[in-house]
Amino acid sequence: MNTAVQMNAAGMPVYLDHASTTPVDPRVALAMAEVLNSETEFGNPASASHDYGGVAHALVEQARCQVAAAVGAAPAEVVWTSGATEANNLSLFGVAQYYRERGRHIVTSRTEHKAVLDPCRELERRGWQVTYLVPDREGLLDPEQVAAALRQDTVLVSVMHVNNEIGVVQNIGALGAICARHGGAWLHVDAAQSLGKCPIDFASLGADLMSLSGHKVYGPKGVGALLVAQRKDGLGSARLQLAPLLYGGGQERGLRAGTLATHQVVGMGLAFELASSISSTETVRIAQLQRRLWQGLAAIGGVLRNGSVSHSVPHLLNVSFEGVEGESLLAAIRPQLAVSTGSACNSALAEPSYVLRALGRSERLSESSLRFGLGRTTTESDIDAAIAVLSREVPRLRHIAGAQSARSAPTAPTVPAT
Amino acid sequence: MNYNQLTRRYFESPANVGELSGPGVFRGAAGKREEGTWVQFDLQCVSGTLQAARFLAFACPHTIAVSAWLTEQSVGRTVTRTLPETVQQLRDRFDVPVDKMGRLLIIEDAWLAAAVPAIDYRG
Repeated sequence: MNTAVQMNAAGMPVYLDHASTTPVDPRVALAMAEVLNSETEFGNPASASHDYGGVAHALVEQARCQVAAAVGAAPAEVVWTSGATEANNLSLFGVAQYYRERGRHIVTSRTEHKAVLDPCRELERRGWQVTYLVPDREGLLDPEQVAAALRQDTVLVSVMHVNNEIGVVQNIGALGAICARHGGAWLHVDAAQSLGKCPIDFASLGADLMSLSGHKVYGPKGVGALLVAQRKDGLGSARLQLAPLLYGGGQERGLRAGTLATHQVVGMGLAFELASSISSTETVRIAQLQRRLWQGLAAIGGVLRNGSVSHSVPHLLNVSFEGVEGESLLAAIRPQLAVSTGSACNSALAEPSYVLRALGRSERLSESSLRFGLGRTTTESDIDAAIAVLSREVPRLRHIAGAQSARSAPTAPTVPAT
Repeated sequence: MNYNQLTRRYFESPANVGELSGPGVFRGAAGKREEGTWVQFDLQCVSGTLQAARFLAFACPHTIAVSAWLTEQSVGRTVTRTLPETVQQLRDRFDVPVDKMGRLLIIEDAWLAAAVPAIDYRG
């Protein structure tokens, strides 16, 4: 094994995990460094009493405009957070707490990110009721499922735009219309994976809340945003309100206390501006690479594609390998490929992907799945390297597992004729 | 998951993968693929001495490495009612996490299922 180890120029495995995080764009890093090194931009953006604060404030507001422009929102709708996880938490706990007298029912799906599911579990512990919708075998929710799940006391629907494991794109526009008709349920959308992969227009989608992340789009980690719609709700009574998670300073219109990290938001602002100007040529290039990868993997045999092909972004490919044990698959490819697996390894314990299980995949196939995240740095040679590694390792592991003979061999001890 | 050098060596280049057939071959298997771990040993014995050993494993790297190592180390030895090393010794040698002790017991079950009937074989 490993006779032809695949490494990149830095001596590291080939990186195909862009859905997990992306490298910071050099232009973004430069802009952040300029803020950090500046003698005039270090001020507290909330300090209105002197020019140092004013300079920093202007940078923050410029970044706010960049983010808003990239996703079709108004600058006033952008609330800075530490990332999409905080934005998701602020949405769920913020709505639940503020509207607790109106209702205590939330609708979401089983394939949401843990940053939505875990807050839902916590709200259940605190007395809220949560309906977890099951998508079809391709990972798609039927908007009618959402409509049927809405109740008089539903205050929030939370559905992600692009699924982080399988890349499936949900019909958010239809969900927005359903929530608007209901009149009492706000729509939260986790869009951490969306920008740069498919169009986002906050104003037209009908979402009330949208979570964004900096580091998924070649920006810095540790910064994100929550879009909070400024329009009035379906009842025409008032704008969406949230109870904050953090208190102590009143920043971000009282929704998120704490001194803003100017360099972080500057980085996210530029990253979003750059991501929104991605050319269609780049999208076509990524789609071609994904097609090349799938064709190469399919040729191995016994490889199943997870998630809808027609309703997904080209940046993600999730496949399961039949007849291969999950931990061994990861151990075999890890020296050469950086990808995510279908099992969340926690020391020795591996938990099969709950997303793939929700799609009906068996525990074994969920464990033996790999998620390939393609991005700006991905090249044809990266794809070919991945195909080469898996074309070697999957048959090797199947051979060790006795893929052919073991199917007919008994699993109970036997003594062959001697 | 981190693996020690021995585990990685025997996982990456496992000796004696496969099956045996013919006189004096005894087969034992344990575990279930659908439960994530399955191991099979074929042991060829003559007058109580192990002449050859092969294994198959649908399993984690530790299980594959331990199984391969056992088949390699046992040839030429007298077949007994125990593993060539205790489960605890194997655990220490391969630095197997405590959570995976059950997998070593599956190896032991498969090994003994093949070895015990072979003890009295004199073919």
